[in-house]
Amino acid sequence: MPKIDLRGLQKYTVMFILVILMALFAFSSPYFLTLRNLTNIITQNTYFIIAAVGLSFVMIGGGIDLSVGYQMSLVGVVTAMSMVVYHLPVWLAIVIGISLGTLLGLFNGIIVTKVRVFPLIVTIATSTVFQGISYIVSKANTFRNYPAEFLLITTGKFLNISYDVWLTLLVVLFAAFVYAKTSFGWSVLALGGNEEASRLAGIKTTALKISVYAICGFFVAIATLVMIAKANTTSSMFGPGTEFTCLTAAIVGGISFVGGEGNILGLVTGVFILAVLGNGMQLAGLGTYAQYIVKGLILLGAVTFDEYQKSHRGRARRIAPAA
Amino acid sequence: MQEPILTVKRITKTYPGVVALDDVSVTFASGEIHALLGENGAGKSTLIKVIAGAIEPDQGSIVFGTQEYAKMTPALAKELGIAVIYQEFSLVESLSVAQNVFLGENRGLLVNSDDVNRRAARIFAEMAVSLDPTMQVRKLSPAKKQLVEIAKAVSGNARILIMDEPSAPLSAAEVETMFEIIGKLKAKGVTIIYISHRLEELFRISDRVTVMRDGRTIETLVTNQTQRQALINLMVGRELKEYYPRHSAAPGEVVLEVRHLSGLGDEDISFSMKRGEILGVAGLVGSGRTELASLVYGAAPKESGEVWIDGTKRDIHSPAQAIAYGIGLIPEDRKHHGCILNASIRFNIALSVLNQLARFGVIDTKAQKRVTRYYAEKFSIRTPSMEQRVRNLSGGNQQKVVLAKTLAADTNILIFDEPTRGIDVGSKQEIYHLMVDLVNQGKTILMISSDMEELLGMSDRLIVLCEGKYMGEVPRDKFDQRTIIELASGHH
Repeated sequence: MPKIDLRGLQKYTVMFILVILMALFAFSSPYFLTLRNLTNIITQNTYFIIAAVGLSFVMIGGGIDLSVGYQMSLVGVVTAMSMVVYHLPVWLAIVIGISLGTLLGLFNGIIVTKVRVFPLIVTIATSTVFQGISYIVSKANTFRNYPAEFLLITTGKFLNISYDVWLTLLVVLFAAFVYAKTSFGWSVLALGGNEEASRLAGIKTTALKISVYAICGFFVAIATLVMIAKANTTSSMFGPGTEFTCLTAAIVGGISFVGGEGNILGLVTGVFILAVLGNGMQLAGLGTYAQYIVKGLILLGAVTFDEYQKSHRGRARRIAPAA
Repeated sequence: MQEPILTVKRITKTYPGVVALDDVSVTFASGEIHALLGENGAGKSTLIKVIAGAIEPDQGSIVFGTQEYAKMTPALAKELGIAVIYQEFSLVESLSVAQNVFLGENRGLLVNSDDVNRRAARIFAEMAVSLDPTMQVRKLSPAKKQLVEIAKAVSGNARILIMDEPSAPLSAAEVETMFEIIGKLKAKGVTIIYISHRLEELFRISDRVTVMRDGRTIETLVTNQTQRQALINLMVGRELKEYYPRHSAAPGEVVLEVRHLSGLGDEDISFSMKRGEILGVAGLVGSGRTELASLVYGAAPKESGEVWIDGTKRDIHSPAQAIAYGIGLIPEDRKHHGCILNASIRFNIALSVLNQLARFGVIDTKAQKRVTRYYAEKFSIRTPSMEQRVRNLSGGNQQKVVLAKTLAADTNILIFDEPTRGIDVGSKQEIYHLMVDLVNQGKTILMISSDMEELLGMSDRLIVLCEGKYMGEVPRDKFDQRTIIELASGHH
């Protein structure tokens, strides 16, 4: 019986879509394929990729975190205020920011496991809580002009490539390694694939679930640092919306909505599909609002494809049961 | 016999690796109570699903009255007046009794709740039961819920009422009430298809009984001209005698002792197991066998009682702890609890030993491949590659993967819950031989099975449960199907 690995196929489909999109926009705008524009696309999306990697831990584990955007909002203003209001050393501000992000994730994880409500609802609720805290802390102020050492995150260069790109590469490789080679990564895959079977196999599923939310918060905080360093400004309005991009990228990239599978390369490709689409549409003179419509449709399309593929696989199985 | 109302003709239904129904034909007469009898997996449930239109047969047809149908659909079954009460109730818990009774009834846009309540009350009055139509279904006992189900069927003017193990959740007094209602329905000309394991019930109420075994109908008999023993023989006897291998291990010291264990509906269960023996657990559906496994394995919290392993009392609160103390579980629901279907064989076998195979959290891929290949060869899992998804394996091979996963964790006390359910005859033999090998190597097996012959063939001793209670122990030299069925149905 010939074997067709649909997951592998999908990985290439996603790459193929990216190439098609780029070809399309290269035709419509002479500026699109310039080195400067392509560099822009990469540097403008580093923080999306880092946050998406964080979210992927939750999603591959079978959960969802919609509070990512307001985690960024809160971590952003707290980190910025540590530097420009309280004049703490940059390293301390970074430690505070990352610890806070991890704590917010931990909070999500504890509620999801203890209350046993759908994570979708839990994280919509905590999202609103984080939003409120963020505005109370920032008093709706904007904080800008960070110390030069902090700005190094995006301005510093090694081999003519900025630090945040290196950081992103590191995060991506790290995550890919975790899923391919570590017992933790395998446990997360198992959790998302079948929670009860994992529990019966001796995996401590409750602790594992809490930890994937905490890890998500950790990476989201790193993404936040990159985001505010790049903008050299932040307010409580910075961050929200990121969760949508990350979620869409993850599903486009083949991370199943119900967990258990996914590849990090697909995830990165997913982020770039959205980025190229945004950039290309901008160059073609289609504004932000039209982009919203397209992004929404892409998410719908990706979820439909995911669902179709599952049921299709189911049918194929029934016709040819045994190996 | 009165005129036939429903005839199933030469129905065949296959699932991957299993023939659920094999050329089954039965005729149900108008106004009779017709019992279906058979062990688990005999095909009773599949048959009623075919009649109700819930599943489509591969071959055969259904004759209702004078009309012949190639298959039923749920809508058609409803239109013809075929109602089913499944073991899992199909009630909307959040709605009232009356709303449930008339659920799906189409009477224009607006619903007059007074009218609905009145009509429900009238049905209950006819059934001579007291039930408040405005009560929320969630708050009812299982017995009352069942009355609602019956009322629902009656309100839809059912001509055929199929009941799947209706007495399982009921107390003795409640069963009496149910029998009275069934009697009234029969008097009104309703045909009842009654499924139960409990022989005494069949003798009390049924007119005829059809015995099923291995997906086939064996015989249809007039109940009051039939002996109990004859039915048991028909139910359990096999044309194809299976061979059960015996192990050669002598029982050693006590490795597991369960004292006064309660929880999940099980009450005060005590037993002990010696190294190198197979202890069987017999009981009917709902007797609490799987629950017992869950309690011992720490998969569900126990209310009271103690588990002693190798002479030491151990508090087991999670499967992870059970595994650490050397207990392994091969779950009843292989596909949902035993393995991760979408993952590879390699992934599944490694699941229980992820930490042992890793150094500082990083998996030693070589060791992992070695371990998984070792077990795949040891259990002769047939697959082109270790990367094959478990979903694509046959039932027997899936079970071997589950077994490999459990044993890779170095477990010594193995709980097999329905180890051969849904597995073809050839693979069954392999599983039996694996079990014997394991016992010869000094492992101890607790075996839960609904397949009586398998239980008698494999076990050294049996304990019998009934409705969550320990009924007694039977040593191998006293093995006798009749004794065990009597114990399992609550007779001492």
